[in-house]
Amino acid sequence: MQPHKEGAYMNRIIDKVADCLVQAGSSFREDQKAAYRRAIASENSGRSCWVMRQVLDNALVAEERRSPLCDDTGIPHLFLEVGGNHQVSGELLQQIREGVVEGLRRLPGRPMAIKGNDYERIDQSGGLDEDSGALAPSPILIKPVDEDALRLTVLMLGGGPAIRGITQRVFHKHSVDVVVDEIVNRAIPAVSQLGCSPCTLAVGIGRSQFEATSLMMEAMAYGDYNVQSDLESKITAKVNEANIGALGLGGSHSVLATFAKVGPQRASGVRIVAIRPCCCFEPRRATVNL
Amino acid sequence: MIELTTPLSAEAIGKLAVGDIVSISGFIYCGRDAVLPRICREIEEGVWKKRGIDLEGGVIFHTAVSPAGVGPTSSNKLEIEGSFKTLSEAGVRMHLGKGAIKPETVGMLRDNNSVFAIIPPVTALLENQTLERECVAWPELGMEALYRIKVKNYQAIIAAAQGRSIYE
Repeated sequence: MQPHKEGAYMNRIIDKVADCLVQAGSSFREDQKAAYRRAIASENSGRSCWVMRQVLDNALVAEERRSPLCDDTGIPHLFLEVGGNHQVSGELLQQIREGVVEGLRRLPGRPMAIKGNDYERIDQSGGLDEDSGALAPSPILIKPVDEDALRLTVLMLGGGPAIRGITQRVFHKHSVDVVVDEIVNRAIPAVSQLGCSPCTLAVGIGRSQFEATSLMMEAMAYGDYNVQSDLESKITAKVNEANIGALGLGGSHSVLATFAKVGPQRASGVRIVAIRPCCCFEPRRATVNL
Repeated sequence: MIELTTPLSAEAIGKLAVGDIVSISGFIYCGRDAVLPRICREIEEGVWKKRGIDLEGGVIFHTAVSPAGVGPTSSNKLEIEGSFKTLSEAGVRMHLGKGAIKPETVGMLRDNNSVFAIIPPVTALLENQTLERECVAWPELGMEALYRIKVKNYQAIIAAAQGRSIYE
C-alpha cells in the first residue's frame, strides 16, 4: 500500500473503532430489544415490568442521542477476529488503541482511569484522570476465523458484573447436569446481589481460568437473544425459578438469556467455569469490519 | 405515583410504604464510596456544620457525577451502607441507590424516620431529568466528590420503610 493511502486507511480505522465503541456504549441490538419486549409482555410482576419498561425506554433514548446507556460506561474489552488472508500489525493494534481513546471521549466514557504507581492504583490514592480517553482497554483477544474478515467487537464491561462474576472449578462427575446445577447454584446469588437485573448470564467452560474467561468473552461477543441452545435455555430457566426479578424486586425474568461457550476440555474430572452476570444493559457490544 | 419535593418533611416520609413508587423533584446530594465516609467523619467530629450544607430532609443519591451522567451504584457496599446511620441521624430522609440492604439497616431507618429507595440505572432518562449540577465538597475526588443536583421527576420505588423491606 502506498504511504498516503496507508495513512488514510489507518485514520479510517481510528474512526471506525471510535464509532463502534460509541455504538456499543449507547445502544441495544435488535435481538436485545426483542428480548425485553418479550419479557415485559410475559412478566406478571408489576414492579419488574416497571423496571424493564424503563430500561428499554432508556435504551431507545440513549440510541437516539448516542449517549451512555449507563453512567458506568464500562471498561473497553476488545475481541479481534482475523481471517487467513489478513494481517495484524503492531501499527494496526496502535490504531485500534487510538480509536478506543477517541471513542471514549466521544461517548463520553466516565473518567475513571486511576492515576499513580502500583500502590496508588490499588488504594485509589493517586486520584482520577479527568480525561475519559485515559481509560486503558483490557488486553485484546485475537481469534483466527475461516472467513475473509478482519472484524473487531468492542464490549463495554461494567463494574457490578465484575464484582459478582466467578471463575472456578467444577468437579463434573461425568455429568452435564452436575455442571449445569453448579452454574445455577453460583449464578442465583450473583444475580440476586448484582442489583441491575434482568441479567444475561455469560458462561465459558474450558481447561484453565484464562481459557474459560476467554470463552466467556467469546460468548458475550457472539451471543444472540433469539438463538438459544438447549444448554443455554436450561440454565436460564433454572435461574429464573429463583424469582429474583428485575432489580431484585421479584418476578420471572431474573435472566433474559444465557450466552455460553464450551471449549475444548481436559481429560480429567474437572472443568473450569467462568460466569459473569451481565447487567441489564450488557453485553454492551458492537462489531465493525476493519 | 407519589410526588415528593425536597427537602422531605418527616410527615411525608412517615406516609411512605414499601413498594410505593415515588417521583422526586428538587435539590438532592450525590455521593458514593469515596465521599460518604468523609461526610460521616465530619459529622461525628462536629465540624460538618462549618460547610453550610444542610442535610435536614435531604436525599443522598449513591452515584458518581460525571460527563457520562448519573446512575445508582450498589448501596450495600460497605462504605455506602455504613453511612446510612450517621447520615439519617443528621437529617437525611432518603437514601437512593440499588441492591438489598441488611435487616439491621432497615430497622435503623425506621428508628430515624428515614427510607431507602431504589432507582433504576437509567442514565439516559435521568439526564433529561437532571437540571443543574454543582460540586459542593471535596472536588479533588472528581466524579466521586459530593455534588448537589437539581432533579425533576426522578422515579424510584421505596425498598425499605417503617421497618419493612421489599426483599423480605
